[in-house]
Amino acid sequence: MTLSDVDHAILNRALIAASHEMGAKLIRSAHSPIVREAQDCSAALTDPQGRVVAQAELTAIQLGSISHTLETCLSRFPADTLTPDDFLINNDPFNGGQHVQDIFLFTPIFHEGQLIGFSASVVHHIDVGGGAPGLNAEARDVFQEGLIFPPTKYSFKRDWNGGPFERMIAANVRLPESTIGDLNAQFAANLIGAKRLTALAEQYGVDKLFAAMAGALDYSERRMRNAIVDLRDGAYTAEAEIEGATADMPTTTIRTQIRISGDQMEITFDGTDEQLKNNLNCPYASTIAAAIACVKSVLTSDDVPFNDGIARAVKVSSPLGSVLNPRPPAAVRARLLASHRVFNSIMIALSEVCPDQVIAEGFDTTTPICLSHQGASGYNIYLEILGGGYGAGAQNDGADGVDCPLSNCANIPIEALEMDYPFMRIENYSLRPGSGGKGRLRGGHGFERSYRMLEDGVLFSTYTDRFNIQPRGLAGGEPGATCSIHVESDGKEIALTSRASRSLKKDDLLVVRTGGGAGYGDPTDRPERLKEADRRLGLA
Amino acid sequence: MTEKNTRVGIEVGGTFTDIVAITNGRMRVAKVPSTPASPDVGAINALSKLGIAPASVSELVHGSTVATNAVLERKGARIAMLVTKGTRDVLSLQRHDRKSIYKLQYRKPEPIVARDNIFEVSGRIAADGEIVEPVDEQNDRDLIEKIVRSSDYDVIVICLLNSYVNVAHEILIKDIVRTIDPSFAVICSHEVSREFREYERASTTALAGFVQPVIKGYLNRFAASLAEDGFDGALSVMQSNGGRMPAAAVGDQPITALLSGPAAGVVGAVKAAESMGLRDLITLDMGGTSTDVAMIQNSRPELTAELEIDGLPIRTPVVDIVTVGAGGGSIAWIDDGAMLRVGPRSAGAVPGPASYGRGGTEPTVTDANLVRGSLRAGSLRDQGIDVDEEAALASFAPLSDALSLSNEDMADAVIRVAESNIVRAIQKISTERGNDPRRFTLVAFGGAAAVHAARVAEELNIRNVLVPMNAGVVSAAGLLSSDYVHYTVATQRYRLAVENLATIRGVIDGLKEKARDHLVNEGVSGAPNFEVFLEMRYVGQAFEIPVALNDIDDALTVEAIGRAFAAEHHRIFEFSKPADALAEIVSFRVGARIPAQVVRPMIDRGDDPGPPEQEIELREKGQTLKCRVVRSDHLGAEAESGPLLIEDGTTTILVPSNWTARRDASQHVVLEGGDQ
Repeated sequence: MTLSDVDHAILNRALIAASHEMGAKLIRSAHSPIVREAQDCSAALTDPQGRVVAQAELTAIQLGSISHTLETCLSRFPADTLTPDDFLINNDPFNGGQHVQDIFLFTPIFHEGQLIGFSASVVHHIDVGGGAPGLNAEARDVFQEGLIFPPTKYSFKRDWNGGPFERMIAANVRLPESTIGDLNAQFAANLIGAKRLTALAEQYGVDKLFAAMAGALDYSERRMRNAIVDLRDGAYTAEAEIEGATADMPTTTIRTQIRISGDQMEITFDGTDEQLKNNLNCPYASTIAAAIACVKSVLTSDDVPFNDGIARAVKVSSPLGSVLNPRPPAAVRARLLASHRVFNSIMIALSEVCPDQVIAEGFDTTTPICLSHQGASGYNIYLEILGGGYGAGAQNDGADGVDCPLSNCANIPIEALEMDYPFMRIENYSLRPGSGGKGRLRGGHGFERSYRMLEDGVLFSTYTDRFNIQPRGLAGGEPGATCSIHVESDGKEIALTSRASRSLKKDDLLVVRTGGGAGYGDPTDRPERLKEADRRLGLA
Repeated sequence: MTEKNTRVGIEVGGTFTDIVAITNGRMRVAKVPSTPASPDVGAINALSKLGIAPASVSELVHGSTVATNAVLERKGARIAMLVTKGTRDVLSLQRHDRKSIYKLQYRKPEPIVARDNIFEVSGRIAADGEIVEPVDEQNDRDLIEKIVRSSDYDVIVICLLNSYVNVAHEILIKDIVRTIDPSFAVICSHEVSREFREYERASTTALAGFVQPVIKGYLNRFAASLAEDGFDGALSVMQSNGGRMPAAAVGDQPITALLSGPAAGVVGAVKAAESMGLRDLITLDMGGTSTDVAMIQNSRPELTAELEIDGLPIRTPVVDIVTVGAGGGSIAWIDDGAMLRVGPRSAGAVPGPASYGRGGTEPTVTDANLVRGSLRAGSLRDQGIDVDEEAALASFAPLSDALSLSNEDMADAVIRVAESNIVRAIQKISTERGNDPRRFTLVAFGGAAAVHAARVAEELNIRNVLVPMNAGVVSAAGLLSSDYVHYTVATQRYRLAVENLATIRGVIDGLKEKARDHLVNEGVSGAPNFEVFLEMRYVGQAFEIPVALNDIDDALTVEAIGRAFAAEHHRIFEFSKPADALAEIVSFRVGARIPAQVVRPMIDRGDDPGPPEQEIELREKGQTLKCRVVRSDHLGAEAESGPLLIEDGTTTILVPSNWTARRDASQHVVLEGGDQ
């Protein structure tokens, strides 16, 4: 059926509003600070075929590949065999999932017995078992990283709320209340999505709803294609590197090819380095999500709603066995490092065809800080994602102290952190003046966050990057400052590597300095007014 | 001596300054142009227009956008901010997230205090309130002395870590300022918002300091010029929580003066509806650039403590108003994906809708109403606007061509999209908060709301719409009927358990006393009514939900609180935990309210008989309908069927064909129907 222009406009926005509400309620009812304060989660609505039609725009890496994650479920449990009591779960990095901490939950939605879509939610869970609390920096394979839930169907009535599946999870994670609490928040968000979608089906009829879903996909596809068709046809290439954990270890290279032909774009990663024996491997779903997020960010205004229509215009593939499409049992926890280099290399390739729409490289390195403590009352696990400076654009300085492009975590307020994690205190949380690369427009500044230990036996783990390789400037802009981590202990300063874990004792001070973004344009062209402001604010 | 027989409400808006005056039970209203450079001039002009001698005014309630504009235009106090060592960048780091995840050229909201005006002081308090490092008074005194003596600053703002638990250091630092210069303005974060999360509290406190001298100076000036003309009545101002306070008290609580305008409208709507016995309402306030909606249960507007102005967070209880960029001036356009869009861009007052002839050429919602026939050119003449219908028609041509529709059908399509934007805003405050809109009455006011109200109601399955008399000046009327209100808040965490009950009761009683004393100190007399809210969550959650204790106040038991919490949680999130799940109280909020005098004035319409009744053509949902136009005071108690256009000088009401309209004893217009 064809939809009037008015109904198309109204229903498209209604679907987006419903998915936003799912996201908001997911955050509000969750338990772990990583969801409720940091917002490391996402939500979406799909059509009955499993194509994402609207999403809560929270975390780019978790979006953009949700339909792949659902597809691997539906290929085993066909849509026409599902009942309202079923739910589907998947966190399998080699079957459409990302890293095992990101658990995807799908609920089929029915109206008068007919399947009308799925609600989808994903949360980064604070602990899913594995070799270390919260984050196992040493994992050599995926089994050491936590429980794997392959694409599976369960019954909510039978398996949850005290049922066997819930009990099995609770028994195998370190903070069962948080993990089960956050999964319950996902179920609640999915239920909200279902309520809103069935209300739309009731008000407008299923035919109109389906037409609106198809229309939403066509609309975003159309806007994406309109942006691609403006670009010069041709092939463009770029590379980006992830450094080794220490300066003498080899780097890993991402090799990116982009082909633009009319209103279609194809992105491949031929020649990219092979998968690694550490946790830097990037599951296929993460590669796709990173690539599409970059293209969308560069080419369209943020007014264009993200859904699977975008992906029709941008084909992404990467060679099996490479770091961007690893075979099992590769460890994948730190997949965002490679994902961000995918993002960087696509940006640099596109800078040839649309230099005004891209930005210079930023710190662009998701840096999780995991501090855990086992006390009399069990585990307490702190996990926070740190960003840094954004790259400068052709018309703007890079933003200071924000999370990286593919994730979008808020900080945990110092006062919330000290309330929840009495084994430590924050001594400094400040910008790093001068860490943004110089340029006509300067890169954003990184920041320092330092943690004083108040107890013995706190385990610190992290993975990060850009200790040696600085983010690259554009059009003559200078690179941004590198990142560093050290511990002050007994009057000594001990430098740590970019992928580290270490036991900390009382009075130790852990100091994390995140990197800045690179500049854009020749620094000598920077207007005096802006230079003066930097000096006055003490940021030069 | 002049008899003090007149009560006056004056609301200063962006374009118009509205006045409502009641003299011996008779009400008069007027609109004059606002004078943004010095808003008090417009306010005095409004008094003159109605010929009111200030000496005859017993009571003047004032609402203005002075504080809000100070923030939006960044024209406020010069602030020095004192923070705990290591947190100098609290205002620029903010929350580290981005409001738009795909925007590469992302810019954070501009902090209200620049980095070079933020200074670190010594001392540290832990999360449990313990002092882990004392204040080095000598060191900090040198710093503060420099700040005070420099004449670079108007206000010192103090925001120290964990001061919501232990205020000692903030008070100590404040005392240092006072010993150096007792008259220097200084504001502590625990006085403004005693809640955890340092960025939000620092932002709130900085904003309070920023607007304090501006709003104080403005009110002093206004009071002085009124006094010069003989005014010696009571001057009070509107707060964003929907209550008022004496003008003299604004200096202590400047933050509540922010965004008070929309709250006045909500209060006006509540009082109008109350006179008809309607207590569960959704308010729809549609002006030139945006539409504000709010939900009212049992005549009490819902409050929220989460508010942003210009991207900066404010944590103080305010009327929970959702704003959507859909007003009479919102521009219709077709995007590059061929989708019809309305707003958020607005033609505003200048250049204004294409039909206003002030330079606007793009089609707006007002133009759409003119083109499809739901607004008559002559109806805006009272407001000094001569409408050019040809220009409205011409503005639609590009859109009509693009979607192959007639101008009239195009205009109708634009209105339906604009109305759906409003519907979604209402869903945000109703269905998304777990409230079924069907049991509410939609109250429409503000110049542009009444023409859309019935269709908006229909989309939400609401069957009752109320358009208060003088719908265009409801906000000014709301000022006059607002109560004196003061809220006290305290972040104190307690498990919901029998052994804590006595403490919990003690905190509530203490806050009640504090709120009552506050009103007494402000010089407000009368016995207050109290509202008690507990901000609660399940142990392990981070976000609290407000639980009203009004109904179970007398028999406060752990079970009763637990039941009320579980019910609220279920309403909002669609789930709650078993009764034995641990819950906790995170903070307490107590409001004291001294009710205003009830206003039920008769309206004074003058002698203008108005235009004779006539018939026009209206294009709606693909049909052309013959539609009668009547003046609101010609409408009687007997319900008349639509299609009907009702004009009352400040607004136009559209009664669609499946709706009826009547005028009730309190003069308000009631619409009923909506059945398909």
